[in-house]
Amino acid sequence: MNNIYKPHLAVIKEVIEESFDTKTFRLKFKDDKTHNLFTFKPGQFAEYSAFGDGESTFCISSSPTRKDFIECSFKVYGKVTQSLNRLNKGDTIGIRGPYGNSFPLDDLKGKNILFIAGGIGIAPVRCTIEYVLDNRDQYKNIIIIYGARSTGDLIYKDEVKEWIDRKDVKTIITVDPGGESPSWKGEVGFVPTVLEKTAPASENTAAILCGPPVMIKFTIPVLTGLGFKDDDIYTTLENRMKCGLGKCGRCNIGNVYVCKDGPVFTYAQIKCLPQEY
Amino acid sequence: MEVLRKYASELLEKKAVAAVIGYVRVSDKRTRPAIITNPEDTSSLVFDNYCLNNLSVYLTKARIKALCRTSDKPMKLAITAKPCDVHSIVALIQENQIHRDDIHIISFNCGGVVKDFGLEFSKETLASKCIHCESQKPVYFDKLFGEEKKIPAAEDKQLQKINEIDSMSTEERFEFFKKEFDKCIKCYACRAVCPLCYCQRCITDKTIPCWIESSSHQRGNFSWNIVRAFHLSARCTGCGECERACPMDIPLGLINRTMAIEAKKSFSFVSGRSLEIPTLVGSFDVKDSDELFM
Amino acid sequence: MTEKIILKDDFLKICSDLLSKGDTLLAPGQAEYIRIKDISEIILNTSALPPKTSFKSYAFPRSEPLLYYKRGKNDVQIIDINVEGKNIVVIGAKPCDAESLSIMNHLFTWDYEDEFFTARAKHFIVIGLMCSNFDEYCFCTSVGTSPVSEKGSDLFLIPLDENTFAIRIVTEKGNEFLKPYTEFLKDGNEQNSAMITKKVKFPEIAFDKDEVYEWLGNNFESPKWENIGNVCLSCAQCAFACPVCHCFDIVDEDYSYSEGRRMKNWDGCQFGHFTLHASGHNPRDLQSKRYRQRINHKFRYYVDRFGKILCTGCGRCSRGCPVSINIKEIVSNCKD
Repeated sequence: MNNIYKPHLAVIKEVIEESFDTKTFRLKFKDDKTHNLFTFKPGQFAEYSAFGDGESTFCISSSPTRKDFIECSFKVYGKVTQSLNRLNKGDTIGIRGPYGNSFPLDDLKGKNILFIAGGIGIAPVRCTIEYVLDNRDQYKNIIIIYGARSTGDLIYKDEVKEWIDRKDVKTIITVDPGGESPSWKGEVGFVPTVLEKTAPASENTAAILCGPPVMIKFTIPVLTGLGFKDDDIYTTLENRMKCGLGKCGRCNIGNVYVCKDGPVFTYAQIKCLPQEY
Repeated sequence: MEVLRKYASELLEKKAVAAVIGYVRVSDKRTRPAIITNPEDTSSLVFDNYCLNNLSVYLTKARIKALCRTSDKPMKLAITAKPCDVHSIVALIQENQIHRDDIHIISFNCGGVVKDFGLEFSKETLASKCIHCESQKPVYFDKLFGEEKKIPAAEDKQLQKINEIDSMSTEERFEFFKKEFDKCIKCYACRAVCPLCYCQRCITDKTIPCWIESSSHQRGNFSWNIVRAFHLSARCTGCGECERACPMDIPLGLINRTMAIEAKKSFSFVSGRSLEIPTLVGSFDVKDSDELFM
Repeated sequence: MTEKIILKDDFLKICSDLLSKGDTLLAPGQAEYIRIKDISEIILNTSALPPKTSFKSYAFPRSEPLLYYKRGKNDVQIIDINVEGKNIVVIGAKPCDAESLSIMNHLFTWDYEDEFFTARAKHFIVIGLMCSNFDEYCFCTSVGTSPVSEKGSDLFLIPLDENTFAIRIVTEKGNEFLKPYTEFLKDGNEQNSAMITKKVKFPEIAFDKDEVYEWLGNNFESPKWENIGNVCLSCAQCAFACPVCHCFDIVDEDYSYSEGRRMKNWDGCQFGHFTLHASGHNPRDLQSKRYRQRINHKFRYYVDRFGKILCTGCGRCSRGCPVSINIKEIVSNCKD
């Protein structure tokens, strides 16, 4: 019998403490064959199990172009993430996936890309950024705007530094007002404000947007104001999921299964959905 | 019936209450709870032997409470309550879930109700709570309707069953309840209809740690039903709604009534009968009997 | 489709043969489809209302393990599960229940196949029985089926008189099933059974399903939802009694320090925590939104997705509702 709910086992090769409440696991499948066969696209997610406490859904945050490991990042919130938080290097977790659709990076070739991420929303964006940077010649101008509540909440410090150092990418890091430390050299301000100030050109540009609902809510009008078309704004929806396979019925928004038809949607698609996200 | 409708309509018109929680007829032998805010809608209000629901369950719902804050000054909620439902209201007041001043109780002299919708009212179909009912008149009310009535006398089969279970050995008793709880599908209808299950977050919804497994195997079903019995001991007023709502016909009334009998025997306490007597779980006396635990 | 005639006693002989072979036999009882231990329990009563729950739990159990795990110091071992479907014969399935598995099958097989369901479902033989009774909650005719509908049945029984049945062979599976028992069968005449089915009183059509579909698409924000949401108490009696509701939860439960299992349990969209995020955000935070989801899922979303209404019109959800919400009435009200 083919058990679609059975996860692959993976070993935690490294635990990266990203911030006080966010961790990244660097994972390798126990079975080499699985490891080599496991392919995914930027934006896809997986179900991670902490055996004894259940499964939780998050995106794969490393890029498929970097094949020797896969990474996931999670903020400690509920039962499963608390349980994952207790695990150490060498421990075993389960992975089912990859599930869902992805950012249409093939269609975006030859375009400018504007990445906007807030908080833990940087995880799927990071995967996409790395993919694009590894295929840098196929895309035009790249702008990254990444905001967090405070300097302590910023994650992927090494990766972000790499982006800042690169000459072919414009990277803007911002923290919410009051979240800056004395030595902070980046921007201070909410993501929509910073975006407005940066005013990137909307011509031939796609915006990839991930973050908390409140950020998305205020950022989209700014993008529209800058001339971005609804079809050029991509974001992800994060409804609660259990199966990831379009069965359990939890992530339904209207007739859409977020786990199958999403998690990536254009703003034009989201506008057609009932407001249940 | 007409006087009730007129009274309710006046309350709403005078803006004395924000809503009337009452019963409306849906078919010959069935009624449904209704939250009425428009005076015109009071014309469908009814009260008879088919008003089974204990409407006090709505008093603690946030969405119903919110109705009281729709105008400038906070308004009361009117509720039509059978005398036994008033006991639940008393218990809710005592547990500080509602205020007596916020509630306008419209009650009735009660002649008993049927045990389930669709049945002809007779002594055979009388709800088991009515068979041993001692309060056909409400203990508290703001308005009382109806003549005093007599409940038809009927055999108290529930008590007989309790005595029978009491005389069983521990193993037999366990087998009995095992068989009953095996039927449980964890739909939580018992919790939903219970006026005293007002917790914003039920213990079953808590996952860190998970006290009650959501699976409906023996362990999950026992932990749910027993924890519920514990939580309702000396609190349950015996409205019998859980037993009626149970789609699998688990005799939850046996458990609740046994606990009530025990509370009465050991502490002379009956839940929801008086606002003056402190609740059993909420009061402690060094002179309390501890035989129950020994 | 061919029609045969079988004596009731001969039909019961088939049943007892199945029992002796170890097949599971189900037949409608009062509260549920009971597992037959003795053929005397088989009543074949056309005038009984549907039992309180359907037989979906035999294909999609209330709780079932998906896998077992063992935790070592930092190692985990998964012990897989193999569901072996055994023959389950439903005898005298109500026409409103007969189709339930094939409706759910769309969901459990699209894209990924959930073999926990299909392994069991494909071993079902559904022997439907014409229905001659309905009450105020029945509305099978409004969702495109009827008391004499053969949809979902492999074989369909129509009582010709007290001791004889017309048995219609609806599917190839049904045909295969009857092969060992041809000695009991006589050739039938469709006209005879049609005489019986013609006389059956149907529940009146309460609503036009296409109009409801249209209305739901345009009235997501209707005040009607709020009225229902005020009365509904958020239990899952309706979902758990429903023959086609299929939402579930996946949870782990340990039964010792190092061992446990992953369970698939029924879940209901009327529970507040169904869509609750760990962050505290809840897309369907109000009961009115949850009820709206229930009706929309059944009469619009499932139609969009799989071309089927997720409802058989059995009326169980209404019959058992503690606060007497009648889905037939609500859906009939889905118009301006």
